[in-house]
Parts: sequence; C-alpha cells; structure tokens
Amino acid sequence: MSMLSQWLRKAELLLAPPLTRCLICGKNSKGSSPLPEVCSNCAVTIPWIQVPRCTTCGRHVGCPDCTRSNEPTPLICNRSAVAYNEVMRELIGQYKYRGNERYTLLLGLMLDRAYGLLKAEQERERQVQLKGQKRNTLFSYLGYKGEDTWRADLLVPVPVSGARLVERGFNQAERLGHVLSSCRGIPQLALLLRTHHTGKQSFKSRAERLSDMKHAFAIDPGMKDRFAGWLQTRLNPNAPLRIIIVDDIYTTGSTIRACAEPLQRLADECGVAVEIRSLTLARS
Amino acid sequence: MKAATYAVECNGTWRVWISLAPIVDFCWWEGREEKFGGWSHNQGMERLVLLTLEMPLGWAVLFRDRFRSDKHMHTWSAREWSTYIEDILQAELKAEGDGNGNGNGNGYGYGNGDVIRYSGRLLTGISMWECEGNRWRLTGRGCNMGVSDDNRTDEGQAFLRSEQRKATNVTSFGDERTEVLKWNSNFRDRSDREEEIFLGERIENLALLARQAEQLVHGVSGRSLLEAELEALLLDQSPELCAPWRRAAQLAHLQGRLSIEAAVGEDARGGAARQGLRQLPLVAGALRAAAAWPPHLGFRRGFAPRRALPRCRRCGSAATARTPCAACGLSGCAYCEACLALGRSRACTLLLRSAATPAVQCTASSDPTVAARRWGLSAAQAGAAGAALAFLAERRQRSAVPSPEHSTVPGSKRSAVLGSKHSTVPNSKRSSVPGPERFLLWAVTGAGKTEMIFPLLEAVLGAGGRALVATPRRDVVLELAPRLGRAFPAESLAVLYGGSTERWVGARMTLATTHQLLRFYHSFDLVIIDELDAYPYHNDPMLAYAARQACKPDGCFIYLSATPPTDMQRQVKSGKLAHARVPVRFHGHPLPLPRHLAADPVRICLKRGALPKKLIQELQISLNRNAQIFLFVSRIAHIEGLLVLLRRRFPSVVIEGTSSQDAARGEKVMAFRDRSISLLVTTTILERGVTVPQSDVFILDADSSLFDEASLVQMAGRAGRSKDDPAGRVFFISPQWSRSQRGAIAQIRTMNRIARQKGYIRKESLQ
Ligand SMILES: [Zn+2]
Ligand SMILES: [Zn+2]
Ligand SMILES: [Zn+2]
Ligand SMILES: [Zn+2]
Repeated sequence: MSMLSQWLRKAELLLAPPLTRCLICGKNSKGSSPLPEVCSNCAVTIPWIQVPRCTTCGRHVGCPDCTRSNEPTPLICNRSAVAYNEVMRELIGQYKYRGNERYTLLLGLMLDRAYGLLKAEQERERQVQLKGQKRNTLFSYLGYKGEDTWRADLLVPVPVSGARLVERGFNQAERLGHVLSSCRGIPQLALLLRTHHTGKQSFKSRAERLSDMKHAFAIDPGMKDRFAGWLQTRLNPNAPLRIIIVDDIYTTGSTIRACAEPLQRLADECGVAVEIRSLTLARS
Repeated sequence: MKAATYAVECNGTWRVWISLAPIVDFCWWEGREEKFGGWSHNQGMERLVLLTLEMPLGWAVLFRDRFRSDKHMHTWSAREWSTYIEDILQAELKAEGDGNGNGNGNGYGYGNGDVIRYSGRLLTGISMWECEGNRWRLTGRGCNMGVSDDNRTDEGQAFLRSEQRKATNVTSFGDERTEVLKWNSNFRDRSDREEEIFLGERIENLALLARQAEQLVHGVSGRSLLEAELEALLLDQSPELCAPWRRAAQLAHLQGRLSIEAAVGEDARGGAARQGLRQLPLVAGALRAAAAWPPHLGFRRGFAPRRALPRCRRCGSAATARTPCAACGLSGCAYCEACLALGRSRACTLLLRSAATPAVQCTASSDPTVAARRWGLSAAQAGAAGAALAFLAERRQRSAVPSPEHSTVPGSKRSAVLGSKHSTVPNSKRSSVPGPERFLLWAVTGAGKTEMIFPLLEAVLGAGGRALVATPRRDVVLELAPRLGRAFPAESLAVLYGGSTERWVGARMTLATTHQLLRFYHSFDLVIIDELDAYPYHNDPMLAYAARQACKPDGCFIYLSATPPTDMQRQVKSGKLAHARVPVRFHGHPLPLPRHLAADPVRICLKRGALPKKLIQELQISLNRNAQIFLFVSRIAHIEGLLVLLRRRFPSVVIEGTSSQDAARGEKVMAFRDRSISLLVTTTILERGVTVPQSDVFILDADSSLFDEASLVQMAGRAGRSKDDPAGRVFFISPQWSRSQRGAIAQIRTMNRIARQKGYIRKESLQ
C-alpha cells in the first residue's frame, strides 16, 4: 500500500468523529462497546448463545429434532453465535435483503465469537480426554497439533444460487466467512455449488423436498484441483482435516447436512480424514 | 450487471452504445430498405465495433459518457481500440488493481473462489463489423486488456453462443425465439464462411418487438426504475413483457425513448472530476483504494475528495460504500446507503429512465372568482390561488423568452395581469436557471391550504398534464386521497405511501409521501409540495433531489408552507421567488399573538419541585375557560417530571404526556382530540397536524435552541383554529427573549398586518 494511502487512513482516523451511528438502534453514541458500530445499550440486547442446550445442533433451548432423527450425517455438530430473535431477524434482514453491507463486519465478528467458544469447548474436551488417557505417545501429540490448542483448517461457505448471487451481489455466508477468515487466519474456499433443481417446492411432498435438498449441493468442479493443491500445502497431512461450514441461519440443519455430504465424499476421494462442523450466525 | 458495449460510426461520427440485448442492435443498424414501424432504416451506419459483450455496467456507462469521436477511429485496429478503452477507464482499472493487490488475495471469490481480476480478462474481445443489406461481415477482430493473441476467442462465435444461450432461456418469446435459433442454425450451416452472419428474415418478429417496445415505453413513462423495480412493475402491470423486456428496452433505447444508466455513477457535472482523475491517476487510485473496504479496518465512509465520490442517480446522495460485487465482478463496486430501503442502487445496477415529454401549457383560467366559488375558497385563498394559476398559465411564455437578461416580462406587467397586488413575481434571471420554475404559496397555519390545491390541479389536468401532490406525512395522504377522488371523479389517481398497493399504477394524478418520488423521472407537469419545511423533507437533500427529478424540466413546482425555510424567505424578500401569501385563517380572524412570560428554565423548576407562579395562573385561566392545553417542552426527559408537578397542582385535571418515544402516542392524541385529556405535555412531534377546536398553547423553555422560528410559529398555530374560538391564547415561557421568539412574533404580526391591509379580517375581530 502506498505511503499516501496509509497517511490518508491515519488522517481519516484522526478526523473521524468519536460519535458513531449504532447499527441496531440508529442513534449516535460515543460510548465504547465490545462490538463495532453498536452502542452499549444495544450490545446487551444481543441474544448470545453462551452455552448451547443441545450439544449436537447448538440450540439454546430444548431440541426435539436431534433426539428424534438418527439419520447418519457427516456433520459432527453445529454452533451458532446467537438465538434468532426479532433483533437478529432485523439485523440479518437489513444485511441480506436490503444489502446494507455495513453489517458485514459486525455480523462477521459475532460469528468469530462463536468460533472462539467452539474452540474453547474443543480444547476443554481435549483436556478431559488427555487426563483420561495416559499421555504417553508422541503420536497423539503429533496427531493433534499441540495438545491444548484447537484450530479449524478450512472454512467453506454455504453457496447461494447463481441467480440470487447476481441479484444480491454477494453471498452473505461467504462474506461472514471472510471476516472470520481474516480474524483467525483460516483459509476459506468456496468448494460448493448449488445445483439447479427444478419444480416448485410447494408441489412436493416432504420426502421429495428432503431428497431434493440432499442433492442441492455439489462440489464445484473448478475447485477440485484447487482443493487438492491446497491439501498438498498442509503442514500436518495425517491429522484429520477440520472443515467448518459457514452459514447465516441454522433452522432445521438440512441445508448444512446437505453441504456436509459432498464435502465428506470429496475428502474420501482425496484420501483424507475429515471432521465437519458448522458455524452459523443465528440458531432459530 | 454486465452489459455489451459497442461503437458505431454513422456519417463519419462515432458513438458508443450500451446494449442489454446485442441482437436487437445488430437488427437496428442494418441498413434495411423496407420501411418498418419502430425500426430505423438507412441511417448511414458505416461500421460497428463490438467492444465487449460483458463489461461491468458502471464502467460501460463511464466509457460511453467519456467517449469522444475521433476522425481516425475508422482506421483503428482492435489493439488501438483496446488501448483507448484502457486509457478512458484508467482510473477505474487502477483502483480495481489496487483493490485486489492490497494483501488479502484469497476470500474475495465468487463461484470458483478466485480473486476477480479485471486487468487480466476484462472483455470478451473486440470484433469489427460492416453491413451490406442485412448481411453482416466480420472485418477484423482482436483481443484486449492484456489477453494474449494466442488466447483469442472467436468473437463471432462467442456472440452467437451468448445470444443462443439467451434465446434458450427465453421461454415466452414465441416466434422470436425460434427465429433466433433458426438464425443460429443458419450460421452454423455456413460455417465455411464464419465471418458472415445472416440475420435472416424476421420481419414479423421485428414488428412484435416494436410493439413490445411501445408498450414498455408507455408502461415506464415518467419513471426512474432500477432493474428489479422494472421487473416488479411489469409483473404487476404487463406480465407479458416480463420475459422479453430486455430486448424491448433495448429497442426503446435505440429509439431514444429510454435511457440506460448505471444507478450509481459519476456526477453529471463530471467534466471537472474526470479531468482531475486523468491528471492525477495515481492520487485518484490511492484515494479510491483508501475508500475501499479493508476488512481489518472495518467499513468506512470515503474520505476521498468529493469529486472522486460517485453519486446515486436515484436519490442524489454520494455513494460512500464499496464492496466486492458478484453481479459485475468488481472488487470495489460502489453502492448507495441512503436509499437502501427502496432496493439497493449500485454502480452496476441498471437504471432505466423514460425520456421526458414536454410540459403542457395551462390556459389562464377565465376568472379566479369562478374557481373560488367552485371550490369554496375564501377571498384570501382565492387571491393566492389566482396568483398561482396565473403563474402556471404564464410559465411557458416566460420560458420561451430567449435571453433572460433582457426579459420582456416585467413584474409590473404581471401584477397588472393578475389584478392582485399580493403576488410578487420577480423578473429576475430565473429562467436562466435550468429546471422547473417555482412558486411559493405561503399560507398561515389554519388558512386552508388544501382547498387551494384543487383549482391548481384542475388547471393542469384540464390541459392534459400530470400532477403530483407530495406531502411528508402519510396521514395527510390518507386524508386527502378520498377528497381528491371526489373532486376529480373522472381522473385516475395513484395513492403512494410506504406499503401502499398502488406502487406501479400509472395515473394522471399522484398523491404520495415524499419518499415515493424517488421512482419518478421527469414525470409531472405540476409538482405540489406540501409542508416543504416539515420533517422529513426539510434538510433532506435526497428528497429535494427526488422532487426535482420527478418534475418535468419545463414543469413547475408549487410549494405550500406556513413557515418557509429561511433561504426561501430570503428569496421572497429579494424578489427571486414568485409567491403569494394567504395571510389569514379561513375563519377570517387574526392569528393569536404569543405573549411572553419570564420564568426560570424547566430544569431549575424540576430541581426545585415547583412550577413558576405565572405559568400556574395562566394555566388556571385556560382551564377555567375550558380550553384544551398543549404544553410544549424542548426535551423528552422533562416530560415525566413536569407530569408529576402538574398533576400535584391540578389533581382534578386529566394530564398526560407523549413524545416520539411513546408507543401509546396515537391513543393519547386521540383522547386529547375527543377532550378526555385536558392537558397534553409534548414535544415538537405535535407541532403540526393535530388540530383541536378550543385550545391554548404554552411553550416552555421557548428560548431553547431546539425551537427555531418555524417551530414556534407552528406550535403557536395550534391555538385559535376554530371559528367558534378564534382567539386562542399562546405563551412563550422562558427566562429571556431569543431571536427565534422575536422572529416568530414578527412573522405572525406581519401576516396579521397584511391581512388587515387586504381587508381579509372580519369586522368583529377588528373592533
Ligand atoms: Zn444502539
Ligand atoms: Zn439439537
Ligand atoms: Zn441512493
Ligand atoms: Zn457491481
């Protein structure tokens, strides 16, 4: 970056008024808050999911879905940053449908917080495991990249259809993933495509719709080589590959499970073990 | 979106066109012999250079608008054209390169996860065409923007393939689709001579497309629509055009009846900006890079100098945000944050605008008194309405005056024409300023300005024109709509407000809240703006821009206000703004003159826990005479404390407080109206709109900077509205006088004086 633009950035920071407009309530405030462009009054209204009730889908309240269905899925678990309530509905709506991309950073940082919690959770689990086992082998040390830090290897955004992408101009999952990727230094690859499936959803039975959904995603053929190339660069090729699928809202989980399957197949093809988890901004 | 861009040479002059459907352009530029409605023939087209099939629309528009014809262009090779494009779009290419180059190489991906680099593959390739009869011949081709020659694509093939793709996507285009397919197969049959494309016989389809273009132009007349809005309009109004609209729009564009713009783009006054950019490409590039969004530093408003900022053509705001865009592929595609609520306007969003038709000429009404009687106007209303009517009728003559400096329409003559001295029409250089002419109807609170709208609408509608009444308040729209419907039963009326179902209805008369104006373009002969000084219109340049855009360039504006903004008052004083005053209320009694009560500020009273004695005495008098009391405060935070003190002092009186933050405001206002609340403590939120027959007004902290002159006049205007109680009491309560209080009182005095001079005051009030 040129000296001039660096200087301009500094000048801009100096000139920037201490007042910022809150992205949630729209009022100007100067108080500091843990989130960018959100006033401290609004920051406390965000429905964070601190500890999920359901360890599978990350839901904050009881969850009949996970206990009922025992369909096999490559998805290990989901974690969400916040509960999907009125405030979040408005925020996500402003971002996704109105296209106010000013929200990207805020929502991305919320996702980053969820990543932090997932990481802490995984590290706690690891501690428990290690205490149980005798930590005797060098192998386990190597296999898990350092015994007390946990780290995902790859972010994969849930794709939107081409038509919607052109209409909206951006894929919200990819943008949120981009913020997370920048914060944590984890690469993001858009490995998935939304396949075209025809026919009106409303005319189909539940089973048909589920089967449609199952095949709604596929690996982008153009990305296969890139993925293989990226695999070569891994420092620790024997460790299981930790993939995180990124999306904005988790409702029934069928979208994310449908994304997990082609990823699992891709990993199988490449002969690499994977652990697939998902992170979403909001859990309904 | 991305669009095709080509240059065409006609009679020695080159011009650049943007195309939504290049097949239509190829048909258009054929020198066909037979005459054909809606299609050109023999326009002296010498050659056509297809520059690209896919360029980000924003760049295509920039390129088109910056393009200058050069007499050597007919000798240019593809490479020279390519260099020229790069030169014209130098600043943009540079900014885009910088945007990609600053560190975060991955993650910008769309589709395949690649960084999108335009410097590498901007265009599909350049091809040069000549046409004999209806036979197109490829005379040259080449690649551009750094694509190496061995990598060249066959442009003719690419063009056809893309057209074929479009054709197969179109399902309801009927014959035309089969024709395109036939055309393509025609071409394939002659693959031994690739450079020749036979467009074939498509006469019926051309006629169909011409009809569709006609229908489209009719449907979008007077509109300014983003692509998504156009699709919504067509779905609502002419669903049969939903599929073929791009081709129809392209034909209408070639016919000069529809303009193609990018929704966000260079300022219309872009000459200087462009010079700046071209002289200092490095600086401009760096500034743009600084304005782009670096993920680590968060989203920022551009610090770049004004001339580097693109503007939203829909709302006129500076487009300060830039993000990577999947629709055009740029990593820094600007969008407008000001009008997001109407659908996102960005640098690659298609904005279609219909070409304006000339404004109608209103005939001078025979006799203002006839109109006055017909619409039940008072003498004061009739006088002002007559002046406005004369303004409408004479507008065209004034515009026709070639040299405004030597205007032959002096003010004295106008006054004679009007036969009314309270109209002051300046003979200044007004017509030298392009754009609609303006007239101010300055009518005091309670003058009955709505009634005066009717004769104005009648004049414009009678002349075959289109009229718009815009008001900031939705409740005014809802209240006025049935009255307009009754007054003009034969005319079509569209009522537009947030959430109204008539969004896309085309009508001769439109009643709208101010935000709805953003979807119109050069549409109305007459635009009446009600309460232009009220929120949200006041101080919102976006709405002022929208209103200007909605009016035909040779149409006119009539502003209605009781309290015109100071700059407008200044123009009135200096004779630069045509206007007429209605200095008296409809009931013919003078405006109540506010009285001043010296008292401590509310803050002190609350701390002391006691209300000023004088205030209590005056409130008691008002309560005794059974008046409803508006008690205005400057701060919401004072309402609660005041309620406690007032209720303690007047325990038998129903006292409530409300503000913008009160969810129950509607119910409280209703209760105040039907007299179940006697005293309402409130803020400027109720300074207008709420009218109660027998009411007195108390304004606390009247010296507060939050009350300007207009607010004070409006609040004072709540009193004495009914003819049964025309002499309401108004008090300004503050420790000291302020400029605003003095100004408000002077304004009210002046109006009363003028009313008296004109003889508008009723006899019983004069005694
Ligand atoms: Zn807030
Ligand atoms: Zn669950
Ligand atoms: Zn805008
Ligand atoms: Zn774009």
